[in-house]
Amino acid sequence: MKAAAALLVLAVAACGQSRDQGVVLWHAYTGGERDALEATAATWNAAHPETPLTLVAVPHDSFADKLTSAIPRGNGPDLFIYADDRIGAWADAGTIEPIEFYVDDTRADRFSAEAMNGMAYRGSLWGLPLATKSLVLYVRTDLVPHPPTTTAELIALAPAMKKTGGFAVAYANADLYGHAPWLHGFGAQIVDAAGNLTLATPEAANAMAFARTLVADGIAPGDAQGPTVASLFNAGRAATAISGPWFIADIAPGVPWQVVTLPVITETGKPAAPFLGVESVLMSAYAHDKTAAFAVMDALTSDAAAVVRARDARQVVANPAAYDDPAVAKDTVLRTFRAQLAHTVPMPKVPAMRMVWSPYQNALGEVLAGHADPGAQLLAVEREVKGYLVR
Amino acid sequence: MSEAALPLLQRQLRDFGVGAILAIIVATVAFVAVRNTELAARQIDLATRTATALAGGGAPLPTVQGVLVSPPVPSPKHPYLHQRKIRDDGATWHALVADPVHPAHKLYYDAATRFDATGAVAELMRDGTGRAIAALPACPAGTVATPATPCPIAIAITSPAAPAPYPYLVMIGVLGLGAAIAAAGALVSRRAARVGAFAGVAALAVPAMLWHAWIATTVILLIAAAVTFAQRAMWTDRIASAVSDHRAAFSFLAPAGVSMMVLVAAPFVIGLVMGFYDHHAGTWSFVGISNFIEILSGGGRELDDPLNFWFTLGVTVLWTVTNILFHVSIGVALALVLSRKWLRGRGVFRMLLILPWAIPNYITALIWKGMFTKEYGAINMLLHEVGLDGVSWFTSFSTSFGANVATNTWLGFPFMMVVAIGALETIPRELYEAASVDGATAWQRFRHITLPHLRPALGPAVALGSIWTFNMFNVIFLVSGGKPNNSTNILVTDAYRWAFERGERYGMAAAYGTVIFGILLLWTVFGTRIVRRKEDA
Repeated sequence: MKAAAALLVLAVAACGQSRDQGVVLWHAYTGGERDALEATAATWNAAHPETPLTLVAVPHDSFADKLTSAIPRGNGPDLFIYADDRIGAWADAGTIEPIEFYVDDTRADRFSAEAMNGMAYRGSLWGLPLATKSLVLYVRTDLVPHPPTTTAELIALAPAMKKTGGFAVAYANADLYGHAPWLHGFGAQIVDAAGNLTLATPEAANAMAFARTLVADGIAPGDAQGPTVASLFNAGRAATAISGPWFIADIAPGVPWQVVTLPVITETGKPAAPFLGVESVLMSAYAHDKTAAFAVMDALTSDAAAVVRARDARQVVANPAAYDDPAVAKDTVLRTFRAQLAHTVPMPKVPAMRMVWSPYQNALGEVLAGHADPGAQLLAVEREVKGYLVR
Repeated sequence: MSEAALPLLQRQLRDFGVGAILAIIVATVAFVAVRNTELAARQIDLATRTATALAGGGAPLPTVQGVLVSPPVPSPKHPYLHQRKIRDDGATWHALVADPVHPAHKLYYDAATRFDATGAVAELMRDGTGRAIAALPACPAGTVATPATPCPIAIAITSPAAPAPYPYLVMIGVLGLGAAIAAAGALVSRRAARVGAFAGVAALAVPAMLWHAWIATTVILLIAAAVTFAQRAMWTDRIASAVSDHRAAFSFLAPAGVSMMVLVAAPFVIGLVMGFYDHHAGTWSFVGISNFIEILSGGGRELDDPLNFWFTLGVTVLWTVTNILFHVSIGVALALVLSRKWLRGRGVFRMLLILPWAIPNYITALIWKGMFTKEYGAINMLLHEVGLDGVSWFTSFSTSFGANVATNTWLGFPFMMVVAIGALETIPRELYEAASVDGATAWQRFRHITLPHLRPALGPAVALGSIWTFNMFNVIFLVSGGKPNNSTNILVTDAYRWAFERGERYGMAAAYGTVIFGILLLWTVFGTRIVRRKEDA
């Protein structure tokens, strides 16, 4: 095996030796986010002609799989932009480079604690955060004059909406990401502090039962996904919708809306807490000039670059200082997303997490359809995921 | 040119040349593997010896950089940040921080972090420079590291090293020697020529033997024996004359042959081999047939568990049979209608009915998925129009499976229709006229004239269609996505999930692929034989 590894290493060396100077960054940004990134890259290139930054836009589908297969063969980028959920798997496989060495307290202070915690795995640091992404509550102000602050208030919107064949709230209840606010609000968690899976707990069963009640009582539509949620909200058939920053682009012109933080779960008194995704710049373990690559990372995540991204692309940037900028400060949507940050749960980074999504989604589907009991389904999920972990 | 006209010497050198090319490839692979392993072992040994020396208070070996790095001190504010110190001049400790003058400082820092996480480190670095790095505990004499009082870490990095260059001169020399032996044999007699051919190719095993590459040595000797045997059985002559006779044909086939090798044969072989390995966190380990055992035993799951291979196989077979039934019956029925001479605008209808086949199937699958959504799906809206309740299509097996079948039927019937239209055109009209004169009913004419004439064309179409449907990834993955609870997955979507949703078990997915290939191979060999027997009957 060692011989094979040595062979691979030298083969990679042979392939990767003729590289131009400069830093290559892969990203899947489109629209405003892409423009903002390109503006920052242009600033860098004007100031550092000796290490030019080349941006490569890669389609989002299969972006992660491309990175996973290209990087270890020496064909990948020096830097790339991705959410924090794969950090665990990539760190364990030696795909990404730890950058703790370059970062001191002053530099770490530039970012919000929640975002920075998302970059930590196995006691080290693996990237610098660009922006945070979480779910919030979108409210149609024409249908709901006073946004609900508790789930009881949210449910109280249902009777009036039902008269017109509508719902109090629409959200992607068939997948774990959409269900997570209830899950955490009921006191459950997917992974404990030690990194162990804690799927089948009474709290998780309560959260699932709550989601089932929402569907069974006609408060939320069953089996809703992104496009359905947007259609219901735009048509006025959903008084509120739970979604992330990407939802803004889906809201039809002329629909009056605002965002508020997710409601407090009336049963537990705890706020509903969605997963927090942290979009970040990560460094390939095979980057050819790591010092230069880190300098680029540092520039891309600077306060000045964050202001550009927050102002032009409405990114919920991870730099608190960016919110002092007058143009950014008056953006109430960004302010709400920042307020939600306090009630979020970092996306678990253990590689086992990636095996949880699909079984959990199946379990939610069965429970929401009224076919199965939450407790039994959660036990089945736990059994299935643990079955995958056994080697 | 006939083979007898070729002088013995020319044939001998031709056969030697073929054997020598194969032997050189094997010897070269062996050389690269051996020299890389040797280089890695030498460099790792250097690094380890230096780290050991440093840990014992000694000096680093020449050409090796060695330092002591202190245990980590976590930042009070950011628990994932740690301060370390370095002692690289033998006396004083100073902070280990980013420093453009000392790019190796990052390597020391990361090696120390890895040492803290996993213990002693000794490996070749992955940057392709051929450097090795080693990290060992450096406890002062008489002390032992404890979590409360960790020891410093001795870290050594060797200088870059390149593996030994390829020994061109040795290889050319051995090649010349082998050619001389082979030629000498050919000049003596026909029998001596065979001995010469063996000895000539076998000479190339000598360098492999000197590198202690025993597998390569054996393979080269086998190649030599094979060349001798082929020469004796006159195979080499026959192949050579076939190649020269059909030179033009082979040159036309070559581009397709090469692309088939690269695009079909190579991935197939790699997939086959991967099935015997397990992938975990970026490393592969050989596990023999355990992937296949796990698949075929159902992984210890109940038979009604959708993750049991046999359940998925059952669903796959049901899926294939149902689809083929619909494809053939709808396709033949439409073909019968479209082949009527009195039908006006047949061309337009044919074009419209072939459209589903012309549109990429993933686009069709996504459109149908949209039509099956509960709130805004076209199908539920139609149901509402006629006063029925909407159906939650993907919450029960039967409706979810039905949605998949509806989509794939839409995609699959045009192919059968086109094949059937073609076959119908070939049926002589006289047969129908004669049957009508004999008083045959419409059903009798269909049963005894149309159907028997359709069979020869539909047989291969069904065989092909069944293989496509068996592996119809797009429809299952995009329409039902396996819902509810994985129960509508077929084998090929399950294989995908093993690779990308269940912990990157690529080996398991590859083994699934091999099993699917085996099933389809059995079906093409035996299934088509059954179809053919029916035709004969």
